[in-house]
Amino acid sequence: MVSKGRTKLNRLLPTCLSLVLPAVLMCGGITMAQGTTPDAMGSGVPHFDGVQKSVSGGIVEAILFYIFGGTVLAAAIGVCVSKRVVRMATWLFGTLGGVAVLYFLLGANYLGVIQLIVYAGGTLILLVFGVMLTSKSPWVRFECPRGEMVVASVVSILLFASLTTVLVTAEWPAQSQSADGVRIAEFGKELLTTYLVPFEVASVMLLVVMIAAAYLARQDRDDSEGAN
Amino acid sequence: MAEISNYEIYLMAGVLIPLASFFILMLFGPRIGKPVAGWLTVLAMASSCALATITLVGWHADVNTPPDSITGRTVAQQLSIDASHNQFHWADIGSVPIKIGVKLDSLTVIMFFMVTFIATWIFIFSVGYMSGHSDEVDGKSKYHRFFCYLSLFGFSMLGLVISSNLLFLFMLWELVGLCSYLLIGFYFDKKFASNAAMKAFITNRVGDFGFIFGLMMVFFFLKTFDLDQAAIEFGRQFASSTGVFDAGFAINLFGWHVSGAMLATMMGIGLFCGAMGKSAQFPLQVWLPDAMAGPTPVSALIHAATMVAAGVYLVARIFRLLTPEAQFFIAVIGCITLTAMALIAMVQTDIKKCLAYSTLSQLGYMIFGMGVGAWTAALFHLMLHAFFKAMLFLGSGQVIEGCHHEQDMRKMGGLMKKMPMTGITFLVGVLAISGFGIPLMNVGLGGYFSKDEILAVAWDRAYMWHEPIEHHGDSGHGDAGGHGDSGGYADASGHADLGGYGEIDSHGSVMPSDASASSFMLVSDQHGSTGHDTGHADSGHADSGHDDSGHGDSLHGEAGHASGSHALGSVESLKASIPPLPKWMFWLALITAYVTPFYMMRCWWMTFMGKPRDQHVYDHAHESPLMWVPLVALAISTFGASYFVFRPMIADAAGAATDATLVLGLDGVAESAETASGALIHVHEAHHWLAYGVGGSWVIAFFVAFLIYRNGLATGAKLKAAFGPLATLLEHKYYFDELYDFLLVRGCRLAAAVCRAFDTYVIDLFANLSASIVERFAVFSGRGVDAHVVDGVFNGLAAASMDVSDLVRSPQTGRIRNYVLFAAAAAVVVVMVMLYFDGSDYPVVRHASTIGASSAGIQ
Amino acid sequence: MPLLEIGLMHYLILAAAVFSCGVFVMSTKRNAIGILIGIELVLNAVNINFVAFDRYQVVGGCDGQISAVFVIVIAAAEAAVAVAICMNLYKNLNTIDVDRGDSLHG
Repeated sequence: MVSKGRTKLNRLLPTCLSLVLPAVLMCGGITMAQGTTPDAMGSGVPHFDGVQKSVSGGIVEAILFYIFGGTVLAAAIGVCVSKRVVRMATWLFGTLGGVAVLYFLLGANYLGVIQLIVYAGGTLILLVFGVMLTSKSPWVRFECPRGEMVVASVVSILLFASLTTVLVTAEWPAQSQSADGVRIAEFGKELLTTYLVPFEVASVMLLVVMIAAAYLARQDRDDSEGAN
Repeated sequence: MAEISNYEIYLMAGVLIPLASFFILMLFGPRIGKPVAGWLTVLAMASSCALATITLVGWHADVNTPPDSITGRTVAQQLSIDASHNQFHWADIGSVPIKIGVKLDSLTVIMFFMVTFIATWIFIFSVGYMSGHSDEVDGKSKYHRFFCYLSLFGFSMLGLVISSNLLFLFMLWELVGLCSYLLIGFYFDKKFASNAAMKAFITNRVGDFGFIFGLMMVFFFLKTFDLDQAAIEFGRQFASSTGVFDAGFAINLFGWHVSGAMLATMMGIGLFCGAMGKSAQFPLQVWLPDAMAGPTPVSALIHAATMVAAGVYLVARIFRLLTPEAQFFIAVIGCITLTAMALIAMVQTDIKKCLAYSTLSQLGYMIFGMGVGAWTAALFHLMLHAFFKAMLFLGSGQVIEGCHHEQDMRKMGGLMKKMPMTGITFLVGVLAISGFGIPLMNVGLGGYFSKDEILAVAWDRAYMWHEPIEHHGDSGHGDAGGHGDSGGYADASGHADLGGYGEIDSHGSVMPSDASASSFMLVSDQHGSTGHDTGHADSGHADSGHDDSGHGDSLHGEAGHASGSHALGSVESLKASIPPLPKWMFWLALITAYVTPFYMMRCWWMTFMGKPRDQHVYDHAHESPLMWVPLVALAISTFGASYFVFRPMIADAAGAATDATLVLGLDGVAESAETASGALIHVHEAHHWLAYGVGGSWVIAFFVAFLIYRNGLATGAKLKAAFGPLATLLEHKYYFDELYDFLLVRGCRLAAAVCRAFDTYVIDLFANLSASIVERFAVFSGRGVDAHVVDGVFNGLAAASMDVSDLVRSPQTGRIRNYVLFAAAAAVVVVMVMLYFDGSDYPVVRHASTIGASSAGIQ
Repeated sequence: MPLLEIGLMHYLILAAAVFSCGVFVMSTKRNAIGILIGIELVLNAVNINFVAFDRYQVVGGCDGQISAVFVIVIAAAEAAVAVAICMNLYKNLNTIDVDRGDSLHG
């Protein structure tokens, strides 16, 4: 019964993926088009009216949020329930894509693009390569003890509940919505002025990581094996 | 610093040459081989002897130079003073400098010559002696070692003689003792030899303990070790009543109140204790007869001629540090020794032992001489005795060697035919020691001059002391003499207040030109210059007039002269402060003068005359030239020494050396060499009946000995039987060895046994008791406290921490995902706790509330 | 909480849900790559928060987006290193099961 369901799901996944990607692209285009219009008029300065207008006219946004937020959540839960690592990676792709759409919804177009390129195009591929290189079989499974599974579920649910409680009970400051259009220019300026040092440190870190990864993953390590 | 004179260089070189020989033999001795090593030593000592001869001749000439017109000193006196400034600063003890220097005066020169001369001949004799004796000990040749020791002895003895410093004198003194020990025990594989060596060494240590004690007192009271400086300081402290002579100075010693003057006496006696050990004076005489276990040349050189005389030499050097009481002590010791030992010598049958007791007796004479103030005579006797006793010992060595190592005189007899040279030279020695001489004629030998002079001085001290002295020509002198008589035992330091002295001073200043007579004024600065001059004037006067004045006067004249730099009044008052000698001491010395020729004649007769008593010994007897040549040389030198050079030079040294503050050197007449015999005669002339009494003693004694031993030993044995217990007493040497054995050895053993018992029953009891208490306590603390309490606590702690750690480690699964879960659960707990306790305190919330309290939010 | 007016709170709750899922994945998957996927989920949840804060100006300027960019950079780097570590783990233990790598357990 279970295995049958899994095979069914197995067949379902490619279908889902083929649906998700176009949906993401489409939604990104919609939100872009929606965001640019008021921003051009609002001259980049956040004001109360603009926010009100954006919120009030956000029925489309609400629909989109629920669709893609649901996608993200569903994919995350899919990761949780998957037993095989390849499937987990596939579900993760759904989550990442949904998050990218949410970025577009939140007016962070640049971040949405980055999310797709880095995660979908880079990290996920890396993970899949990792799976392939480390599995004797791509379908290999390691069963977690059922007791631990239960404990983990309880802890996760409690964590979610407590976080939600905090979020709900907290008094948040007065909300305003930032403009969309000019933010990318402001973003670039900030990144190369105020955050220049972290930026450079991040670049150096990437270099170090590149070397470190190459070093760690290289094939023949006679000396260390001799030591072992 | 004055220029170093040749004499000092000669003397120092003479000391160092035997040292070099010692080192050569020590390092290369076995390689040098048997005869060469001996001849090397002879060569070294002969070189020293040559230097000593040059020094003696030159010095003799310098002594007889006319005094310098400015300083009033002869060349020799000037050189002597210079030498005392030529000292090498060696070290400091506190603020007291210790200086090495050569004590250059007539006594040093003459002693140096005597030691080197005798040593040279004895070394030559030794070469012959050792060629006939075994030199093997434990199968190995010790030939080179024998001469090595002899060289070391030569060095240390000569160094002792020239030392100007008491500390160095002491060091070399100990070195001499070491050589004595080594040589007595040369055949150390023989029990009696090693025992004798130990006995000598230990007995000497007893004396040296006193010596060190005296040195300590010299150091503390006089702040110097230099002989001259010490004497000057001693006089200064006495004159000014400071230091040890301070009226308030006293120490509390074991409850006894000891005044400064008593301490000064103890200082002198302490120094004399060293002499008692080295010169084997009563009661430390026991080692010397046993020391005859050593080879005969050693007995001759060390235990008859030189080393044992070092004690007398020491007393001569410290004469100026003596007090009358200390001097009296010396006299008593010397008197007892000379009498008691001479009596023992009468019954000895071992030829070397007989000579050894004779030596002891003669040393007693010397010490006695020092004690009665016969400084010159005692030293003169020392010199002469060294010559003839060395010769006698060598003769006995020749006899023993010739008689196949037979030492018992009862088995000898009639050896004159076999050993003519030995017999004749031995007879010369016998005559010399007996005081052979013809009264009222200038003919005599050895003891006739020296020993009899000691007796003359003793007579003077005993009978002629404190008699009024008539001085010729000047009333001031008469006054002074009268004062000396009436003053009795008045304190010498008070003399300056007495009336008669003004006259003496004025008298001195009237004729200062007479002061050039002769005197050694090394320390004259310490005394009033006018008084000093007066002393000279008077002594010169007394000398010239002695024919009229009678014997007492003449001796007193000498006395005044001897103490050169003393004012006459000072001498007289000093004399007044010294008590006369008890008469029994003089009589004992006189009687012993009769005993001496008797036992010497007995010895000679038993050995060389009569009929051979043991045919085997007689057949074996022979002489060897290497051994009798030294005998002849020493016999001739005994003749020479009796007449020439020696006595005048000693008298020359006497002036300075006896310039004492508290005691008198009575016979330090500074005769010139030409008048030496004249001066000697007047001793005998002065004491007419004494001259006959002493001078004739040898005739009577020889005759008695001849009567007894003319026909073998029978008469002697009968006499011995007649005397019975007395003879037994003498044969057992007054049971001194037994007494010491009983008192000291048994006493030590008894004390050791007591100590052992104390150890066993008291100390061990406490020790065991405390040990068992400790053991019990240890058991209790170990098994009870440690095992249960301490271990329990720590084991419990360890077990508890094990349990805790087991508990704590269980969550540490090592699995990453568990840790993640724990972290998440912890976060949940934290958040929930914060929510439960009033979430409004959360910083984010506060921040939010400050921004806009009225905001509608999105809720 | 209005359902149709999408505000900050919606995004935050969504992020919390994704975060909880990430934690669950991390604590239940024995495959090393699975744990890595859980981490990615957590990081994405955080990123949603950052961008939402930026959008609704809880933080000033565009600090939220910049933080998100750095998180993405670090996530990429972390993924690279993590995959390399996973390969080492596999080489050494001949398995990808992280429960086997418990040499340091108490």
